[in-house]
Amino acid sequence: MTGKKPVSHVPHKRAHATKIMPGAYPVFPRKIASSLLHALRDPEVVATAARVVAEKAEDLRIAVLAHVDRIADAARAADPVATFEQAHEIRGLAGNAGLVATGRIANGLCRYLDASRRAGRQPDQELVALHLEAIARAAHAEDEATRLGDTVANELAALVDKKLS
Amino acid sequence: MSGATFDHLKAMIVEDNVHMRTLLRSLLMALGINHVYEAGNGADAFVILRDKSPDLILTDLSMKPVDGIAFTSEVRLSHDSPNPYVPIIMVTGHTERHKVEAARDAGVTEFLAKPITAQGLFLRIAEIVERPRPYVRCAEYFGPDRRRRADERHPGPWRRHEDLESGMRVE
Repeated sequence: MTGKKPVSHVPHKRAHATKIMPGAYPVFPRKIASSLLHALRDPEVVATAARVVAEKAEDLRIAVLAHVDRIADAARAADPVATFEQAHEIRGLAGNAGLVATGRIANGLCRYLDASRRAGRQPDQELVALHLEAIARAAHAEDEATRLGDTVANELAALVDKKLS
Repeated sequence: MSGATFDHLKAMIVEDNVHMRTLLRSLLMALGINHVYEAGNGADAFVILRDKSPDLILTDLSMKPVDGIAFTSEVRLSHDSPNPYVPIIMVTGHTERHKVEAARDAGVTEFLAKPITAQGLFLRIAEIVERPRPYVRCAEYFGPDRRRRADERHPGPWRRHEDLESGMRVE
């Protein structure tokens, strides 16, 4: 035995696939497509849209802080599903709120809780608590976007990797 | 500035977070798309889809009671779907591989990772408009071709019967 899988000479039963090309199904009419592409690439339109995103940052920061309170409640209730849901909300909002490190830490916590759930393991409460503390500190910090926030996010990501390995 | 408005275009945002819905709506309106419908989950979105038949859908992944993956499957596969070919951009903070793969296999056209940027959203819409992808129908899947690039230099291995014979049947 070489350890190699034996080659099968029985043909595989393969699924039949049909390809439907654009035009055979409805696509954007040429005139609309052309003016839409023009708008999508217009530097002024892009700049206006980027300003719209920036203007929402403060509202989103307030929303993140509300979720930070809720995630603490979920953790106190030892509810990993609710903890994941709140961490997921935080990671989804934080980037657009200008809370980059907060988002990275919340993403790490989501990764850990999701992997624990899929493995059928109870999450390590100490590691969850570390993430929650870091999320709360980062979200409230005036200087969130500093190397300190990044360092904390990196250290916690390393801890998660170690736990999951 | 182009200043164009697209009165014939209708978009739908499916997102349970009101802040994200507002942000996405503002971006579409900055682009000139003023007919924007909103739903807080996949079940409500399907009702709007049947009523308004939007030309473009932006959907979140995690929502209750019907999430973005189940909604996408419904759009693609349900016999009362008004347009199974409608482009669907999944806007998600999920980075878990199994979630992204499930969304792709449900028939999502494009992914946009959060945080949202104007450039990121506009690039995905441009891709949909400029390079609409073929759709594939087989026993296990209906949706945009998941093999994005047909590389003619690719020497194989070819996985499908049709690849080996004469390429996929094209409608």
